[in-house]
Amino acid sequence: MKITIGHLYPDLLNLYGDRGNIQCMKKRCQWRGIEAETVEFQLEDNIDFSALDIVLLGGGSDREQMLVCDRLRSIQKDFKDYVEDNGVVIAVCGGYQLLGHYYDTDDGRIEGLSLVDLYTEQGSPRLIDNIVLENHKFSLPIVGFENHGGRTYIGDNEPFGKVLYGNGNNGEDKAEGVLYKNVVGTYLHGPLLPKNPHICDYLIANALERKYGKAELAPLDDSQEIEANRYIYDRFVTKQ
Amino acid sequence: MNIRRLFAVWSAKLIKTACQITGRQGVTLAGKIALSIYPPILKELASEVKKDIFVVCGTNGKTTTNNLLASVLEANNCSVVCNRTGSNMLNGVVSAFVLNARANGHLRADYACIEIDEASTVRVFPHFKPDYMVLTNLFRDQLDRYGEIDTTMNLLSRAMKMAPDMKLLVNADDSLSTFLAMDNDNAYTTYGISEQVYQEQDSREIREGRFCKRCGEKMEYNFYHYSQLGDYHCSKCGFARPVPQFDGSHIDMSDGLSFDVGDFHVKANYRGFYNIYNILAVYGAASLAGIPLDSFNRILGDYTPQFGRNELFEIDGTRVMLNLAKNPAGFNQNIGAVMTDTAPKDIIILINDNSQDGTDVSWLWDVDFDRLKDANAASITVSGIRCQDMRLRLKYVDIPSTLEPDIEKAILSKLKSGTKNLYLLVNYTGLYTTHNILKKMEGRKS
Repeated sequence: MKITIGHLYPDLLNLYGDRGNIQCMKKRCQWRGIEAETVEFQLEDNIDFSALDIVLLGGGSDREQMLVCDRLRSIQKDFKDYVEDNGVVIAVCGGYQLLGHYYDTDDGRIEGLSLVDLYTEQGSPRLIDNIVLENHKFSLPIVGFENHGGRTYIGDNEPFGKVLYGNGNNGEDKAEGVLYKNVVGTYLHGPLLPKNPHICDYLIANALERKYGKAELAPLDDSQEIEANRYIYDRFVTKQ
Repeated sequence: MNIRRLFAVWSAKLIKTACQITGRQGVTLAGKIALSIYPPILKELASEVKKDIFVVCGTNGKTTTNNLLASVLEANNCSVVCNRTGSNMLNGVVSAFVLNARANGHLRADYACIEIDEASTVRVFPHFKPDYMVLTNLFRDQLDRYGEIDTTMNLLSRAMKMAPDMKLLVNADDSLSTFLAMDNDNAYTTYGISEQVYQEQDSREIREGRFCKRCGEKMEYNFYHYSQLGDYHCSKCGFARPVPQFDGSHIDMSDGLSFDVGDFHVKANYRGFYNIYNILAVYGAASLAGIPLDSFNRILGDYTPQFGRNELFEIDGTRVMLNLAKNPAGFNQNIGAVMTDTAPKDIIILINDNSQDGTDVSWLWDVDFDRLKDANAASITVSGIRCQDMRLRLKYVDIPSTLEPDIEKAILSKLKSGTKNLYLLVNYTGLYTTHNILKKMEGRKS
């Protein structure tokens, strides 16, 4: 078995340790004997979505996001088809905002991909803190760090998790991120996946299922991951 | 004499002494009190500096560059105001001046060498306008505190506009620094290294400024030194690395650092490529100010670095080296320095997430820790508040490590049964604790 991970525009969208998300997906595949390949795409490259099993869209500065969004318009249709065909996407921070219709900033509107029905508006102050979520879909809490000026509104979509500690999408409705088909959009970095091995495996399993029709992931020794996850949960939720 | 000014100076001195007696640092508190008692104090004291005021800014290398420059000036029999401890926000800057003032409330100083946190420049410059600003480099650092690098650049740009007569000395190899210099009206001079030093160019290091700050086009590089530092140009708008006035050449790092700047040969028993930049910046700044540099190598030799800059201890037969590493660029440089020692070694990495460290530790994933596989390390111990994150970071490049949150226990364990060659890489708030533990151990044994 093999999965191909497409990393979109790592030169521009690489703010919060996104390399860690890639590294985590690759390793957790390799440890199970699943081949994992990463393909990095630069702005000028053409992307063949049919060759990809997981797409990672990371976070960048507002200025860099602006550079990317011009380019995104030309791949919008292919990207949308990929998502509707249950393609797996993990979009973090700026990448999460780009999933939506738009991000309104003080310097103007950044047009998004309209892959998911959501939008973002700039707010003040920036929401910067550790963050803990729960989602009964998953066996463990989801822990990470958030740092965003944007306030995101996901309408009737399912959130990635309910905020136990931290701010989440907009600091108001206790929701964080979005789940749409096989797309995960979230403000959580830290990076997201190493301390949340269950989320990493969720992405890998979805990719394998889509590609091979069936996925059973062999268990790994996650004691260190779980301990690191537990530390954040205890520090910010239990001992509040 | 203004009574309030006198009162401010005396209060600050008193607070500093009181804090020293009770074992606290007290530097920033002294400055804060002095400024609240007499708000114009910094402005007035700074105006009493007879010759030049230098400020040093930049993500990495501020303290070493600033303190070395002060040492050069002092070796020329000048009296210098300097914030040596690295307290580099407004209160720390006030302290440096106030604690240097005499009992009559006046300052007798020929020069001031002041390092300033980039974001604090716009708060300090209303009080005085420096004659020179040295800008060492701009790297990704503490995104949770400073925001994106663009934010830091905007603040520095504002500071430059506030002091139009201030001359800039910037690192020619850093496109972000030279862009700032070219984009502002201040006169500028540059230092840099025009020859390619490292043959290997395929590091996965995160490089800022891959895209031209002027026009947005992807920048082209003839070579990199490290991070984004190197020989760059933009083929679209013509933005390019300037030819440095102070150009390091014939670089040799086999035994300390040896290189030429023009006709001058520098030889120093320092480690780390980044120190070539620090030395070039000092050489350049002193030259611009017309300071004679005949005894430059002797001054470099006599200089005692601040805590955690290649700081050596000898404890019970173990050689211990302590290094501060607080952002990806600094960490990668420090890993490089550790790897120049090919002997077997133990390594302890301490990561805290206090506000001065940055509460976001995602930057650990931007450091090239996989290189430690080839570091001939007998053991790697992870310590500090976020040791769990650090352990995972290493796990995902297949490097096993031992978890010991308590740094003192981690050190003791390696002193007891280690290779007698111990390296400590710690981030900011772990530095003083670790330094003090090592000092105590060194004293006890000898």
